[in-house]
Amino acid sequence: MPISIIDVRERVMSKNDKIADTIRLRLGRTKTPAFNLISSPGAGKTLLLERTLEALNTEMEIAVVTGDCQTQNDADRLARHTGRLVQAVITNGGCHLDASQIDKALDAIDLEYTDLLLIENVGNLVCPAGWDLGEDSKIVLFSVTEGEDKPLKYPNAFRNASYVIFTKLDLLPHVDFDMNLALNNARAVNRQLRFFFTSAKSGQGMRDWFEFLNLRVNGALVPAT
Amino acid sequence: MHEMSLALDVCGITERAIGTRSPSLVREVVLDIGDNAGVDPDNFEFCLTALLQSPPFGAAKPVLRRHAGSVLRVAHIEVEECP
Repeated sequence: MPISIIDVRERVMSKNDKIADTIRLRLGRTKTPAFNLISSPGAGKTLLLERTLEALNTEMEIAVVTGDCQTQNDADRLARHTGRLVQAVITNGGCHLDASQIDKALDAIDLEYTDLLLIENVGNLVCPAGWDLGEDSKIVLFSVTEGEDKPLKYPNAFRNASYVIFTKLDLLPHVDFDMNLALNNARAVNRQLRFFFTSAKSGQGMRDWFEFLNLRVNGALVPAT
Repeated sequence: MHEMSLALDVCGITERAIGTRSPSLVREVVLDIGDNAGVDPDNFEFCLTALLQSPPFGAAKPVLRRHAGSVLRVAHIEVEECP
């Protein structure tokens, strides 16, 4: 039987990327900035978002999409701090959110009345790094209870991110975490990274994060990609 | 799980590439995969082998070509045209 070669040269995940582009268009039409928060499980994504909603929900309309393998616990926690619908995506064991899930979640969100979209990805530093959700930027949360070598162990997460938020700084006196080493490791992977130093529990450094979001929402800050 | 999602995407790309040539037998699906693509090649190959057993692929063999960088794409497919 004749054999033939079909030239394809198509990127795997191109379908996801096309949906991500349509999300970017949807968000662009309403000038809604979107950030995709990724981290290891337990790095403090939900607490950071709780404090963010508490602090800013009188100044801006914030929509949140959360992703978890199971339960909508995070969405329930966040819903206590906002009058807006918090969209919970349960991945049923899936290790990351993909663009089609965000596209569907946005159908329930009135983007005309949304100043900012925050996506809390599934706790995992591997898979979420590779999936474009149509966000402006990926933000990695890096808690001081983790090893300083996280950027070296999970380079794709730090390479594909624009910002790193160090979390749980209130625990710094109690753990052997070398901040300079962590910063050097992160910069070794991605020299463009910008950093926040926070404790959502004590409030340390949170003002810088809020100020950043305010500037971005008000159009005073160009999105980093 | 991650590799299975990607393998499913490869199946979709392959199906689209076959298009109206069907019925034809896919012999090989050749992929370029970078060291920084965020994919475990062994796991990926395992998932692909399992998925490519089913119609319309007819037990096609995945061929992974390793590269530097973050490339992850279906390069070409080899098909046996049915008379």
